[in-house]
Amino acid sequence: MANNQPPACLSCGAKGPCGGKGLLTLKDGVWTSNPLAIQILGICSALAVSNRLENSLVMGAALIFVCVGSNLLVSLLRNRTPHRIRMIAEVAIIATFVILFDQFLKAFYWDMSKQLGPYVGLIITNCIVMGRAEAFALQNPPLLSMVDGAANGLGYAAALAIIGLFREILGTGEVMGYPVLAGEWYTPNQLMILAPGAFFTLGVVIAVFNIFKGQETAEKK
Amino acid sequence: MKSNLYVLGYAAVLGTVCALLLTASANFTAPYIADNARAEEVLNILAALNVPFQADASSEQLLEIFNTNVREQSREGITIYEYSLPQSKGKPEAVAVRFSGPGLWGPIKGFLALESDMKTIRGITFYEQEETPGLGGEIVSPAFREQFIGKSIVGEDGKAGIVIRRSGGKAARNEVDAITGATMTCDKVEAMLNAVIKNIAGKKSKIKVQNVK
Repeated sequence: MANNQPPACLSCGAKGPCGGKGLLTLKDGVWTSNPLAIQILGICSALAVSNRLENSLVMGAALIFVCVGSNLLVSLLRNRTPHRIRMIAEVAIIATFVILFDQFLKAFYWDMSKQLGPYVGLIITNCIVMGRAEAFALQNPPLLSMVDGAANGLGYAAALAIIGLFREILGTGEVMGYPVLAGEWYTPNQLMILAPGAFFTLGVVIAVFNIFKGQETAEKK
Repeated sequence: MKSNLYVLGYAAVLGTVCALLLTASANFTAPYIADNARAEEVLNILAALNVPFQADASSEQLLEIFNTNVREQSREGITIYEYSLPQSKGKPEAVAVRFSGPGLWGPIKGFLALESDMKTIRGITFYEQEETPGLGGEIVSPAFREQFIGKSIVGEDGKAGIVIRRSGGKAARNEVDAITGATMTCDKVEAMLNAVIKNIAGKKSKIKVQNVK
C-alpha cells in the first residue's frame, strides 16, 4: 500500500484527523464501490422498500444512521474487542442502533413505520452494515470509520432514492404524493410498484453506474 | 491471544451496555408507541362501524370521535364496541367485536361490526396481519372486505357461521368469495370469524336483552 498512497483530503490535509483519507473514503462509498450498484449488496431491502421515494429516503436515513453509529463504536472498540467474538460484538452493536431507529420511527412516524414493516429491523442482517464494520471499522480510526459509514449509507440512500423516484413516477404518476404524470395521456404502470418493477429499475441503475465507471477506468488507462 | 476470562467479561459488559441503552430508549418511546397503537385500533373500530370521520383526521380527533360515539363495554366476557347516534337515546346503531387468530405467517387481528339486529354484517377491518403480500395480504383490500357488508352471519339453514367459499356459483347470504391463491389465509380468517360469531350467537340473548333496553 505504501507506493499507492491516496491523495490528501482537501479540507484537512494529510495530517488531519482522518489521515488524509477522508475524501477518498467518501468517494469510494458513494461512487467507486457504491454498495448497491457496484457491490450489489443490500438488494433485498432495496427491492422491497423502493416503491416510493419517501420510503426510500427514510430507509436511506436509517442506513446512514446505523452505518455511522456502528462503524464509530466498532472502531472505538477495535483494539479491545477479542478477535474470536468480534462478529458477535459487531452484530450486537448494529442491532442496538437498528432497534433504536425502529423505536424512533414507531414513536414519531407511525405510518412510515407501518409501510416499511419488517425491513427496518432487517437492517441488522444487511450485508452493507456488517461488511463495513468487518472490512473497514476494524482496521481504521474512529473518525475515518464514521466517514466510511456515512459514505456507504449515502451511496445506498442515493441509489435507493433514484430507484424509488423512477418507480413512483412511472407506477403512480406522483412524486412524494404530488402528481407529476397526472394527465389523461398517462396511465400509471402498476408493474413498477410491484416486485418486477424493482428488478427492472435496479438492473438499469446498476447498468448505468457501471457504464460511467467503465468510462472512468478507461480514461485512467 | 486474550484470555477466556477477558472474552467473557467483554461480552458481558458489551451486552449489558447495549441492553441498558435499549431499555432506556424503549421506556422513553413506549408511551408514544402506545398512543399510536391505540389510535390505529380506534381508527379500525370506527372504520368497521362505518362511523363517519375525515380521512386525514389526527389521532386526537379520532380519539374524540371515538369517545363521543362509541361505548366500550364488556358483556358476558366479550368486549363490545357500541355505536349509537346522539338522537337515538342510547339505542345502538351498530356493534363491533374484536377477532383474532393465527394466520399463515403471523397473527391476524381485526374488528367485525354488526348492525343492531346482531345478524347483518356492517363492516370488517383487519388491523394486524403479516400474510403474503399480493395473496393473503389482500384480505385488507377493500374489494375483499366490502363483500362482507350486508351479509348475514346466519346461514340459510339457521346455523350461525360465515363461509369463505372457493367454488363458483351464486353466493348464499352468509357466503363471500375467497381470494385465489390464498386458501390458507382464507381458511384461517373463516375459522377466526366463526369462532367470534359462535361466541356472540351463544350469548346473543344476553347481549340483545340489554340492547333493547
